[in-house]
Amino acid sequence: MYELARGPLMWAATVIFLAGIIYRSVQLYLLTRKKKRVLYSAAPVKPKDRTPEERKMDFIVAFKNSLLGTHPIMAVISTIFHSFIFIIPLFLLGHNLLIYESWGLSLFSLPDWLCDTLTGAFILIGLFFLLRRLIVPQVRIISSAYDYLVLGITVAPFLTGFFAYHQWFDYKTVITIHMLVGELMLIAIPFTKIGHMVFFFFVRILIGSEYSFGRGSREW
Amino acid sequence: MSADAKKIDTQKIKEVLKHNQGKIKLSRAACASCSLCAESCFLYRGNNNDPRYMPSYKWLSSLGEIYRKRGNVDRAFLEKTKEHIWKNCMLCMRCYCPFGIDIPGLIALARSIYRSQGVYGIYPYTVGAPEAGCPADENALL
Repeated sequence: MYELARGPLMWAATVIFLAGIIYRSVQLYLLTRKKKRVLYSAAPVKPKDRTPEERKMDFIVAFKNSLLGTHPIMAVISTIFHSFIFIIPLFLLGHNLLIYESWGLSLFSLPDWLCDTLTGAFILIGLFFLLRRLIVPQVRIISSAYDYLVLGITVAPFLTGFFAYHQWFDYKTVITIHMLVGELMLIAIPFTKIGHMVFFFFVRILIGSEYSFGRGSREW
Repeated sequence: MSADAKKIDTQKIKEVLKHNQGKIKLSRAACASCSLCAESCFLYRGNNNDPRYMPSYKWLSSLGEIYRKRGNVDRAFLEKTKEHIWKNCMLCMRCYCPFGIDIPGLIALARSIYRSQGVYGIYPYTVGAPEAGCPADENALL
């Protein structure tokens, strides 16, 4: 099982992950072919025409309306969670060693103690999300079993990786489960709610709306 | 309401669903149920942060559920959930989704499904029922 998870399954998961992301991107692109007739201007009044007080006021209004203004704790914690999900697996020494063994090249690695701390923090944030989903009525009302499952799929590779690093339980079993759930997460990305990894950038940049980063002109 | 009006034309609902399948499916898949859209709704804020006024809840509990059931819904369901999209939403188009889901568009789509079955929002809203003497068709918001 160990060899299977390390070799062919890893390849299969990676291929499905990449193909799935391309499929989703194409699908989203085709769905939003319609062009918006009316374009929202990003800045109807040029900043240089505003007095310093007005500019300060503009900033305060924009900030208060942003997620950072309405949900500061959630915004910060969520940003940390989403950056860790990339940083930890990509720059972990153990992962980079495996890549080096296979291909003779690798990314730089963070020290082990740091990755260990970050993983601990990641798991705690996962627990925070779970509790938030269970306790906050606004989140609870729209949560289904599927949401809990997706959260589980996301946190499971980190939890098992944490166990494996500390050699808790039987190492060989834990590391095999770690690889399997990691592959499951990769496969799940294009096909489940974790697909917001793709949607987020596409929608915020390509589709024209009040909140998009760019001046997208595409429409659903 | 007369007896023949009680029958639901699921075929018509399915047609609308099929026509907009891509958008609904993708939006359902993209919604992470994060509830961060809540504060962007002024009705939510004006109703003591009642979760039923959350933009995501409004479309997930109506259109989302209809899609999940593949259009096989009964009139009781439509009557039960109609206030989520008629009374609880003004379609002001100001709701904010971190993933950019077109919530107003989906609520409008839900309205068109409800409208096709003769389930309207009736104004002025009293608690749960139209005011006496207001025939549905004359006061329906079209």
